[in-house]
Amino acid sequence: MWVNMGPQHPMTHGLWNLRVRIEGEIIKDVDPEMGFLHRGIEKISEDRHYNEIITLMDRTCYVAGLSWEHLFIIAAEEALHIVPPERAEYIRVLSAELQRIGSHLMWYAAFVQDLGLTTPFLYGMRDRDLILDLFQTYTGGRLTYEYMRVGGVRNDLPLGFTARCRQVVDWLMDRFVEYDRLCLSSTIFRERCDGLGLLSAEDAIAYGVTGPMLRSAGSRRDLRKDRPYSVYGQLQFDVATANTADVTGRYLVRMEEMRQAVKIIRQCLDWLDDNPGPVMASQLPRWLGAPYAPVGNEAYLLKRNYPTGLGFSMVEEPHGEAGAYIVNDGGEHPYRVKFRSPVLINIWAAKRYLPGYRVADIPPIMGSVDVCVGECDR
Amino acid sequence: MAESGAQAPAPIPGTEQRPLLWVTRPLATAARQFAKSLWRPSTIIYPFERLEDPKFRGEVAVASGKPIGVGEIWDNYRGVHALNINTCISCNLCAFSCPDVCIEMVTVPGGDPKHPKKCPQIDYGKCSFCGFCSDACPEGCLSMTTRYELSVHKREDMVYSPARMFEVFKSKLPMNPIRVERPKNEDQILLDPPICIGCNACSRDCPTQCITMLDIPKPTPKPGEKLAKRIWKEPVINDSDCVRCGTCISVCPKDCLFWGTRQ
Repeated sequence: MWVNMGPQHPMTHGLWNLRVRIEGEIIKDVDPEMGFLHRGIEKISEDRHYNEIITLMDRTCYVAGLSWEHLFIIAAEEALHIVPPERAEYIRVLSAELQRIGSHLMWYAAFVQDLGLTTPFLYGMRDRDLILDLFQTYTGGRLTYEYMRVGGVRNDLPLGFTARCRQVVDWLMDRFVEYDRLCLSSTIFRERCDGLGLLSAEDAIAYGVTGPMLRSAGSRRDLRKDRPYSVYGQLQFDVATANTADVTGRYLVRMEEMRQAVKIIRQCLDWLDDNPGPVMASQLPRWLGAPYAPVGNEAYLLKRNYPTGLGFSMVEEPHGEAGAYIVNDGGEHPYRVKFRSPVLINIWAAKRYLPGYRVADIPPIMGSVDVCVGECDR
Repeated sequence: MAESGAQAPAPIPGTEQRPLLWVTRPLATAARQFAKSLWRPSTIIYPFERLEDPKFRGEVAVASGKPIGVGEIWDNYRGVHALNINTCISCNLCAFSCPDVCIEMVTVPGGDPKHPKKCPQIDYGKCSFCGFCSDACPEGCLSMTTRYELSVHKREDMVYSPARMFEVFKSKLPMNPIRVERPKNEDQILLDPPICIGCNACSRDCPTQCITMLDIPKPTPKPGEKLAKRIWKEPVINDSDCVRCGTCISVCPKDCLFWGTRQ
């Protein structure tokens, strides 16, 4: 018997449909159905200035906006042959790591809500608000940041930000201990999570599953270490792994990743305190400056020798490995933009890790995937 | 089939089979947080307390050692726009920079009939609060404030006319202090002299009046040669005053102005 879970179901965290074939209580087959939230972001991007695409990146994944901005910016800078100042790179890494904590806290809140635990949900949302407050102090937005620009970042950190950020991450480190006390040492949590949704590393790699789901199976693949982008090569941190390959393992990996993110944030703050400087490249093509005035007639545009190029980037996003590919044909808009969403593939692998379990196990297992449908459907 | 190839979950250190601890530990943690929240709330009582209140402004909160976790609002918050009509130069840059095309330039009283003054009108039904318009404004007259309450009863009320944004400006809310620096290799507006007919359109419409029409010598025609029909004047652009709005390019009837770098 086929059962539809979704598109409007508390388990889905957004608009997607999980069709499940069951025999009694046992899942025999699943058929994830995505695309309800498709907004054509790749196509809209072809008609926008490079900086204007950043407004779309925030809406691609609404819990990890800055990570997606970072992804796009790296590819765009490669395509346009721009080198950002080092201070801007550190601010971007700081933002991406704060965003990783924010995204994982959002996941934590939603995941325990799936299990029926309300107290950890409130804790997760409360502490995520601290991260949003931090973002608001320097980007001006709480969810849609529009902060990074091709060639740097929009503005420098405000006075007193580093002290405040240290205060917040210190506070969060205490909270992480509390999360473990609430969940990991709770019978209700362990009984529902241990040994569920097993996905071995070989299967995960065969399906293209990345991120915490892959690392929970013992793999040490992390793009920040394996293919260091931005300034990750100069920062010390460990790759969070677990060897259980189940829902509890994914929980452990994400909790450890948040602690490692705090470690990275502290190093970034130390560097930013010592090294003031510009946050925007001084040499930019005209249409990347602040005003986007009309270019004038096409004949003169064609006369100018604008650089062309290809840009590709891969970023360890909170959900997994995201990719962007940009073709710059010398115009003021990109010719083609393509994004790789980790969540799309992580959901699709449900065909491998869901069958064999019971219907009541679907919410914890799919909750541990960290579904963000905005990014999945784009 | 799900079990194939995966290991059995290993016991996590510190959480051995101690059933009493499993029950009491989460309860004790929750009870401690509850006690803390009695004197250190994580929320603000919205209609009575507001984020705009000075006690919730970030700088104050840091200086006074206020517990973190309580709402706050900083000056670079991107809320409702404030427009200073008096300093607006009608350069159109905010409308050009808007990714959602929600800014329309509407005529406001104050200009002369030949060259009406135009100021931005924002449709908040479309606005995404990206702040590009405020970044692009060369005079700093369009800026985003800390006001975040936008609910209205009618859809038409979502459209903020320049006069309405001037009201916001007059309420003296903290304005966004961020100004994006311009790149040093910015293009200038160049002239293709043989095509120019000296029509004065660029100089007339320039919002900063940085274009002057200078006389150029009228060449003496050779016998049999016909001179082009034109006014013997040419625009000269003062680069330090130019805001790069491109108005001159769009009004030029002969397309003789273009972006470029002077060699």
